[in-house]
Amino acid sequence: MLLLSEMAVDRPKSFMRLAVLISLLCILGVALPTLMPQQVTFLPALSIDTDPENMLSSEEPVRAYHNARKEEYSLYDMIVVGVINTTDPNGVFNPQSLRNIYELGEYAREIAWDGPDGQTEGVIGAEVIAPSNVDNIEQAGMGTVRFEWLMKTPPETQEDAKAVYEKAANLPFLKDTLVSGDGKAMALYIPITSKNISYTVANKLREKISTFGGADEYHITGLPIAQDTFGVEMFIQMAISAPMAMLLIFLLMWYFFKSVKLIISPMIVAMVSVIVTMGLLVMTGNTVHIMSSMIPVFIMPIAVLDAVHILSDFFDAYPRYKDRRKTITHVMEELSSPMLFTSLTTAAGFGSLAFTPIPPVQIFGVFIAFGVAMAWLFTITLVPAYIMLMSEKSLEGFGLAHHEDEEHPSTPLAKLLHAMGPYTFSHAKSILALTLVLFGVSAYGISKVRINDNPVKWFAEGHEIRVADKELNARFAGTYMAFLELRAQGDLKASFALALEKALEENGGKQSLELKEQMDSLGGDIDAIKDFISTRQDALSDDDDAYYAWDDVATLVDEAYGETEIFKKPAMLRYVEALQQDLLKTGLVGKSNALPDIVKTVHRELFLGEDQAFRIPDTQNAVAQTLITYQNSHRPNDLWHFATPGYDKTVLWIQLKSGDNKDMNTVVKAVEDFIARTPAPIALAHDWFGLTYINTVWQDKMVSGMMEAFLGSFVIVLVMMIALFRSLWWGVLSMVPLTVTIAFIYGIIGLIGKDYDMPVAVLSSLSLGLAVDYAIHFLARSREAAKKHGAWKDTIRIVFGEPARAIARNVIVIGMGFTPLMFAPLVPYKTVGFFISAILLFAGVATLLILPAIITVFEQFLFKRKDT
Amino acid sequence: MRKFLLSLSLPLFVTFPALAMDVSEIVAKANHAAYYQGEDGRARVKMVITDKQGRKRTRDFTILRKDTKSGDSDQKFYVYFNRPADVSKTVFMVWKHVKADDDRWLYLPALDLVKRIAATDERTSFVGSDFFYEDVSGRNTTEDTHTLLETSDNYYVVKSTPKKADLVEFSFYKSYIHKTSFIPVKIEFFDKRGEKYREAAAEKVETIQENQTVTQGSMTDLRSGSKTVLTYSGVQYDIGLPDDIFTERYLRTPPTDYLKK
Repeated sequence: MLLLSEMAVDRPKSFMRLAVLISLLCILGVALPTLMPQQVTFLPALSIDTDPENMLSSEEPVRAYHNARKEEYSLYDMIVVGVINTTDPNGVFNPQSLRNIYELGEYAREIAWDGPDGQTEGVIGAEVIAPSNVDNIEQAGMGTVRFEWLMKTPPETQEDAKAVYEKAANLPFLKDTLVSGDGKAMALYIPITSKNISYTVANKLREKISTFGGADEYHITGLPIAQDTFGVEMFIQMAISAPMAMLLIFLLMWYFFKSVKLIISPMIVAMVSVIVTMGLLVMTGNTVHIMSSMIPVFIMPIAVLDAVHILSDFFDAYPRYKDRRKTITHVMEELSSPMLFTSLTTAAGFGSLAFTPIPPVQIFGVFIAFGVAMAWLFTITLVPAYIMLMSEKSLEGFGLAHHEDEEHPSTPLAKLLHAMGPYTFSHAKSILALTLVLFGVSAYGISKVRINDNPVKWFAEGHEIRVADKELNARFAGTYMAFLELRAQGDLKASFALALEKALEENGGKQSLELKEQMDSLGGDIDAIKDFISTRQDALSDDDDAYYAWDDVATLVDEAYGETEIFKKPAMLRYVEALQQDLLKTGLVGKSNALPDIVKTVHRELFLGEDQAFRIPDTQNAVAQTLITYQNSHRPNDLWHFATPGYDKTVLWIQLKSGDNKDMNTVVKAVEDFIARTPAPIALAHDWFGLTYINTVWQDKMVSGMMEAFLGSFVIVLVMMIALFRSLWWGVLSMVPLTVTIAFIYGIIGLIGKDYDMPVAVLSSLSLGLAVDYAIHFLARSREAAKKHGAWKDTIRIVFGEPARAIARNVIVIGMGFTPLMFAPLVPYKTVGFFISAILLFAGVATLLILPAIITVFEQFLFKRKDT
Repeated sequence: MRKFLLSLSLPLFVTFPALAMDVSEIVAKANHAAYYQGEDGRARVKMVITDKQGRKRTRDFTILRKDTKSGDSDQKFYVYFNRPADVSKTVFMVWKHVKADDDRWLYLPALDLVKRIAATDERTSFVGSDFFYEDVSGRNTTEDTHTLLETSDNYYVVKSTPKKADLVEFSFYKSYIHKTSFIPVKIEFFDKRGEKYREAAAEKVETIQENQTVTQGSMTDLRSGSKTVLTYSGVQYDIGLPDDIFTERYLRTPPTDYLKK
């Protein structure tokens, strides 16, 4: 027996007290800095992080690029409020609904408060996209163009209400974005200072909405809302589903072992392991992320697993010894080695995640590995200690009534297993044949696996966020935003300097030559050059000729600079326009907003609003003058969401109807194809940003990272198994249930068309941890028994007695125990709940059917090999 | 004690006559100082818009102004763009009416297009800058109720509240009007939450032809962090601008003689 277990048996009270003390310290270590951050400054407070962006390290190039572009184009995270009216024939375009929408828009603009550091937090009022806050450009009688707020005041009549729709529908950047194409619904876009306040802002909006009468439905969505809501519900999950699972496991154990007192010990082990692991996670300053929030759910089955083995063995052996100490000694001697190895393999499986390129997954893996070690430690000490603390009297009759006569089993489970053993012997070949067939089917299934994820789909169907997502994407161009930046491949600054020097030389005037001489010291910088000219002009207030000569030089500078303003060039705008058209062909892009749309719309309104004027004008000056006209509106700075003031870069806002990574990938591919097929007049480089795109980047890393981590840990576990069994072939044999389980699980995922997403990816590690456990227990006990009984035919009866029952009880207790997770409103938990059960079932069945069948067929080889 | 009281009451007594100045008189004088010096005038204006990121956009234009009615009333403006080169020769023309909506025209040479711009709303951006149309042409003093908040050593501080609040985005603005020149040295705009979000400042004042003239003014949008600076050069008053250059005919053929000094 292990030294530690012995010590625990000798001093059970001290061990229990120590466990309680450690748990209390961990709880305090989390609670104190969280509840009293001022007083307890040496420990980090609990912080929740539900931002999928953090799946990537903050230094990740794509994130740095994303944040830099958001800054450069003044883009913000947005809350989307969809308003739908299905009873009014005019939808929301009636005076009553528009009055409410108007009030909501005006109210939203004023949501702001002073943040903790004194900076203003809340809604960025000027950037709100609401009918009262966007400009309408239209004809206003004879040769007059008008800029006005789309809905300055709520309309009084039905006719005016309809006019609001007509006006917005005429503007490409509002149609299908602010107003739905069917003329029934409206969507408001509310930019916020940071993602973390979206829940607070949404609640303020809900409060306001609750004061409205009428038949309008309001749907609040957008990625920031989804993330914040996820955070809130994640806690509900942790507080309800995990304890529910614990309760069910408890009830099942009660059913099997009939002693409430006794089965409290695995619960204690699980609790203490989870508390210590999570406590350490928080105390080391790690955030509770979507991944790490699942740590308790993963540790619990693993922690209970070994304890169930001990109890199961104890349950069966106690009637023989009728003495706690002797029984414990017997049980621990039998189990200590398999338990150590199962824990090591599980820890290795999860520990390998430390080598994935995704920080939250690394933390997840490392802390589960740690938790598994804790679970092992507490299992081999606390379970024996706990049993020692029970009086011999309370164990009276324990196991006895159900003591199995191995030849004449009484319980249905024991009967089934009793029959199963000989069956695997007699039907070994057909079992193996069937396994091979299923393996083939699985391989086919795996080939069909679709890698995809979508944070909005982490909410169950029917959740208000999913409903909002569905309703809005059915009516509008799409609530998922991705941004594509286009920029020149070449060095525009260098070509500007070159062109300007040439122009100055050709001009040859005194002032031109003076500037040319200064070009090097001015570094070809446009601002520096302009300042230089201004300074020269200011010094010349009396010499008018020289003043105007400098004016001409300034014009030369502008003309040379104009060549770098590539997105003022009609040819380039038409290229962007063609790309936009091409994107629509994917069927995934609802629409895109870009610079050409602004130019075309203003150009149309300058020419009497006629459709044939809805085009890019023919010269760069005409484009520039169209754009300067646009800048006489209420929101001139909207332009800089689409281009830099230097027009050397432009951004396309692409609205997707789905946030599925696979759809985003298709759009990315479509752009690659277009650019490869259609070279731009000036060679362009392009890059994506936006949350919808970022999700695909971490998914790619996750898939490849998980695969590598899995293969790595598979090899490590195999080596460990070979060492454990001191035999290559027994080592290989122990990997069979795991391999089969993984193949089946991912085969099923492929066949039923479930997406391979974040939780599914993590399951491979869990399978590794759990499936190999059963194999170790089964094979270790088989070899022990074979030593005594010789022929496998005889050994099999023994193995399908107590050892098989322990495995079967394990499968049932833990497998059933996690079914409550399937009723969780968050899909990752559902997935994990379902697949934990499935993995356990497959691993159990694979262990109890396939392993004995293989041993039967290869008995000579396996045992002979061992003997030599 | 007696002496102390005396010294305390003295400054109060001294400032009293200033307080006596009627607020409408202050506002009228400030309006005159800002928009109505001389019968007409010309200036070369350099506009630099610097956004929060430090990115600069410049515009260079010549502005001609002529008062068409006496008593600080109707005026005409002709704004001719020199640069950026791609909008060169673009013209904005405004007929400002105190008792009616202004008339505004836009001439876009590259499109060979003269367009009237409806002026129902004057609080739109002036060519993409932080200035609104109304800041450039002057807000009608009768649109607000004015109260004198404070009289300091140098300034009258006047609070102006719009009579029709839903036509404008501010809830009130405060002007710091210089006591001798009556130039509004600073104007602060406050939003519905009572927070200052916009600020105009006269950054440089020079005396030109005996008129105290702002030669550098700025407008800052405190929310977006953007600032526009206007620098005036070659300012001249009373140059005898003929009335007919402020007509549609002159949009296409600029009055070159009057545009240059």
